[in-house]
Amino acid sequence: MRDVAIIGVGMIPFGRRDEDTLMDMLAYASLKALDDAGLGDKSVDAVYVANMGGGMLQHQSAIASSLVDRLSLLPAAAETIENGPASGASAIKTGLLAVASGYYDTVLVVGGEKMREVTGWRATDFVATMTHPQAEYPYGITLPGMAGMFTRLYMEKYGVTREHLLAISLKNQENGTRNPYAHVEMALDREGIYDSPDAVVNNPVSADPLHLYDLCPVSDGAAAVVLCPLEMAKKFTTKTPIVIAGFGQATDTHTLAERDDPTDLKAVSLAAQKAFAMAKLKPADIDVAELHDAFTILEIAESEHVGFFKKGEGGKAAVKGETKLGGKIPINLSGGLKARGHPVGATGVAQVVDIVWQLRHELPKDRQVKDAKTGLTINFGGFGNNVLCFILRRAA
Amino acid sequence: MKEIAITAYKCKKCGKLHYPFHDRCLECKGREFEKVKPQGNAKLLTYTAIFNLPWGFDQRYLILGVAEFENHVKAMGQIKVDSLDELKVGMKVKPSWEPVKVLQGEDVYGLKFEPM
Repeated sequence: MRDVAIIGVGMIPFGRRDEDTLMDMLAYASLKALDDAGLGDKSVDAVYVANMGGGMLQHQSAIASSLVDRLSLLPAAAETIENGPASGASAIKTGLLAVASGYYDTVLVVGGEKMREVTGWRATDFVATMTHPQAEYPYGITLPGMAGMFTRLYMEKYGVTREHLLAISLKNQENGTRNPYAHVEMALDREGIYDSPDAVVNNPVSADPLHLYDLCPVSDGAAAVVLCPLEMAKKFTTKTPIVIAGFGQATDTHTLAERDDPTDLKAVSLAAQKAFAMAKLKPADIDVAELHDAFTILEIAESEHVGFFKKGEGGKAAVKGETKLGGKIPINLSGGLKARGHPVGATGVAQVVDIVWQLRHELPKDRQVKDAKTGLTINFGGFGNNVLCFILRRAA
Repeated sequence: MKEIAITAYKCKKCGKLHYPFHDRCLECKGREFEKVKPQGNAKLLTYTAIFNLPWGFDQRYLILGVAEFENHVKAMGQIKVDSLDELKVGMKVKPSWEPVKVLQGEDVYGLKFEPM
């Protein structure tokens, strides 16, 4: 197996992009990544497109075939990869394996989603189609609803409080103000969403015990990466190659009710353990992380399940500032899903793009982890029933 | 009172109870199951109230939870209360089989739980 490097990355600002089609967004992010990789006037061997909702929301299928035509990447191999909100990481994994095996030398991976052109009602329903079609979906359960039930149990078992959840909201939205690609570039005021009587109106219950500002926004957006064998990276670019040092993927039961301990995110732990073993690293070796905070509770739970903190300590660490820039392990300096946004097919790719910028030391000082050499991502599909972890390393 | 129309599956090899159906046992990969109907009342394991509802629900909010029947079948259902203040993890709830939504004018039946 060959070492695989990320040699190009690209992203477009997330948010509400009424003027762009899904294909526009995929094309813009792809071109940025191809230019960044030094392949702006060349082709690639294969293209993997991560997208969850094109068929349901845009009434469009075979998206990868359409994209290679639009980008003049013919006759590159092309596939669309759908794995719920973990589609982005799944597409990168597919590219990684294709390059590592020696079958392809250059692969473009792009993830994108256009969710804001439908009503909130339809977007919520679209995401809820991931739930079990007989045992869950008919009751009206949504992903925020799953997170609400999970949060109640996690609070009871590990003593997580609303103060802990609030620390994540405040930190990630503050981080979002420094990210020009973030959907929400607005810091939150603690008093307005928690302390004052107005908080009941400003920050209402959304999926009890989670409130509005515990949830990520519904977003449009796209992000892309270009992969090649590490040994070939210098042929294309003078930028520092970022190596995919480890990856892991694991699955868990479809329904939350069938887990022996529903607070145990087994797929997160297993995916991270596999990635650490492959990278020959441990949690204390990681300099920066992008975790899948679709709900504030998930940043806390994932930070514990990957091994940054002991169970029950993740929320306290966030309150103490240990996950801010300059802290023990900075998490979601991009703003995370909470502020950057969550166009589902794009998220797993965007997390990797943000870590690549960190490891290349390309970010402004107020968002850059000094001398960052290693980074970790968690892309969380369903309600933790399909999870991918990447560990990236700055090439020597 | 309608019969609760869900079926759980007990692995004939290792005894693990499943709901919903799996083609192979999650514990031992056995393929033969004994059908088990949920029995008795249930214990509420967790719950939530959601205010952003999916397609097919024309109402302001929904209260949902997961409960475990006396014979250990665990399942999701809607909860018949007006406020979450009436609920507590671990409380006993009475199950029933009732309309949970209406689709194109037709009732869709499912599990509901009510505090005892």
